[in-house]
Amino acid sequence: MISKGAQDRKRTFLIITIVTVALFFCFNTLPLIKGFIYSFTNFKGYGSYEWVGLRNYKDLFGDARVGKSYLFTFKYAVVGTIITNIVSLMLALGLNSKIKGKSALRGIYFIPNVLGGLVIGYIFSFFFTYVLPVIGQSMGIEGLSSSMLSSTDKAWIAIVIVGCWQAIAMNTIIYISGLQTVPEDVYEAGAIDGVTGWKKFKSLTFPLIIPFFSINMVLCMKNFLMVFDQVMALTKGGPSQSTESISYLIYNNGMSGGQFGFQSANAFLFFVVIVAISVIQMTATGKKEEQL
Amino acid sequence: MKKRWRASAAVCMAAITAAAAALSGCGAQQADGKVRVEIVQYKPEAVKAFEELEERFNATHDDIELVIDSPNDAMTILKTRFIREDYPDIIGIGGDINYSNFLDSDMLMDISDYEGLKDIKESYLRTDKELEFIPYDGIYAVPYMANAAGVLYNKDIFDEHGWTIPKTLDEFYQLCADIEAAGIQPLYFGFKDTWTCLAPWNAICVDVAPSDICSQVNSGTAKFADAYRPVAEITKSLLDYAQPDPYAYSYNDACTAFARGESAMYVIGSYAVPQIKSVNPDINIDSFVFPGSNNPEENVLNSGNDLQWSVMAGCENKEAVYEVLDFLYEDENIQIYLDDQNAVPCKKGDFQLPSMLDGMKEYIENDRMADYQDHHYPSEMAVDAMIQTFLMDEGSDSVDTFLARFDTEWARYNRDLITKVQKFYKEHPEMLTEGGGN
Repeated sequence: MISKGAQDRKRTFLIITIVTVALFFCFNTLPLIKGFIYSFTNFKGYGSYEWVGLRNYKDLFGDARVGKSYLFTFKYAVVGTIITNIVSLMLALGLNSKIKGKSALRGIYFIPNVLGGLVIGYIFSFFFTYVLPVIGQSMGIEGLSSSMLSSTDKAWIAIVIVGCWQAIAMNTIIYISGLQTVPEDVYEAGAIDGVTGWKKFKSLTFPLIIPFFSINMVLCMKNFLMVFDQVMALTKGGPSQSTESISYLIYNNGMSGGQFGFQSANAFLFFVVIVAISVIQMTATGKKEEQL
Repeated sequence: MKKRWRASAAVCMAAITAAAAALSGCGAQQADGKVRVEIVQYKPEAVKAFEELEERFNATHDDIELVIDSPNDAMTILKTRFIREDYPDIIGIGGDINYSNFLDSDMLMDISDYEGLKDIKESYLRTDKELEFIPYDGIYAVPYMANAAGVLYNKDIFDEHGWTIPKTLDEFYQLCADIEAAGIQPLYFGFKDTWTCLAPWNAICVDVAPSDICSQVNSGTAKFADAYRPVAEITKSLLDYAQPDPYAYSYNDACTAFARGESAMYVIGSYAVPQIKSVNPDINIDSFVFPGSNNPEENVLNSGNDLQWSVMAGCENKEAVYEVLDFLYEDENIQIYLDDQNAVPCKKGDFQLPSMLDGMKEYIENDRMADYQDHHYPSEMAVDAMIQTFLMDEGSDSVDTFLARFDTEWARYNRDLITKVQKFYKEHPEMLTEGGGN
């Protein structure tokens, strides 16, 4: 016989779960299923439509613009993830050491995460268009003397810079919390064996924060793959469509262009890709985790 | 205890239902018995004029409540609402591909019984007819305002140097060279915003390409590669007279630069004037028709329906809607809009045209006008970005690459439409010879 109190507790949990599941279903699963259904039509987003079978999926693999957007997004996500993780790990090591004004510095480094992506994008857009070229000209650097955003070769780098600048904040915080879980006695034991500097980091610190490293890699990769705000504010996909990310293309052609059905197929494919990448990342880094 | 658990479950369900109801939109019925007419119009820059019109209407009408929304990026908002099947009563959009698509999706109401139509200038009604993919019976839009595109010029700079308005393409090149020789930047472009690439493109198209080229291609009788070659070449030649790296600057940047007198001319539409004046209210602007051809007879004004009203097919209060339209077309209300937006009215009558259209007046009065070609381009094809790519391409075969791409992409993005059009003309061959719609 279960006591009355325990039964009430169970009910409360049940209610919380049901509501969450219902909301999740309404606002996440249902639209996903609906989008999947639309991906088999030539729906423009309004009005009448016809079933076209698998045509949209076939077109996806033959569409140069979609291919280019996948290339750009992956290039951006891989480079962005690497830079963000290296820089934020270095920052976290610095901010976790015994330095003056540690808390204030941590607060300052977190600010980019509080600001909205569009706000940052517009500020950087001004910086890249008007400030950086002037600096480049006065220093005689040819590569910087014209706006990065107007060059098909350099525009993506500008977006990487802005994306990383913002993503580093959150990753640093996660790494700091990871570093704080490393017990001091491990370092003491290491010190007795004479381990210092790079070796100390490689053999002691890093293996112990691998769980944080893997969560950072997954979150970072996923966030970078879904890049939208920065593209919207900095380049709007230009110049000459060289910085169209997958999300931007889906939004732009699915909503304001009349390709709702086609872009639904694209969105579904993208969903599958992201799930696959996350699973691969989790299994790959999960194997390396060390437990004390 | 059991009761409480039921109650809380009920509250949760109610909350979810309420949230769902709030998302599914609202009806036209009002609690106080007034009929509510909702307009969504796509020109956010005209929000002040429409707020004034809305206020005037509501002050004089007891039985109808008029709501005019002028959101930013209204087309996306409208389409998002349509996905949710939440329709306003009247939409104010441009006479472009979106109108064609909405009409093709059976979303608009036939309003040929609207009395006010007889006061509208014929050429603008004809423009709307040409936008139909396949010819429709009836009328589905009332043109309200038109705009004109060409070249805006700084009158003070021109007067100072004694430069005159060019009538042919060669004269235009000569003028640019003269301006450059005087140490002034002839043209300024804001090609970072890709849509501005279409401004010179459209203005040149009306002079040197057939006006029904898109429907010719759809019915399989022509290719863009031939018709658009001169357009592409002339558009590219303009870069010689523009500021360096025009792809770094946005539309706003270009308007600001022109307003500050940094360039003598700006190839854009009359719609840019309010933006320019907001930077420099004292600037003395006039305009002229882009001379795309060396034969002055061939040069026509690029003018299209900038704002027109369509009634949604599901609208229940046709009488109230017509009353709102009547109000909008009263002469004094049109003048309110004209004073605010420097537009050209589509209604017949004696209106005071904005002075910066002086150079184009002759073309407007003689009806020497042609619609923007990009009104026939599907937006997802992103012709603007294609033109930007072409302009940035410095290879010697850039024109061929671009034109070949134009034809392939056109076929790809208009696949369903081309099938539909060709099927229609196969069933109705007599319409094709009559020259039918687009």
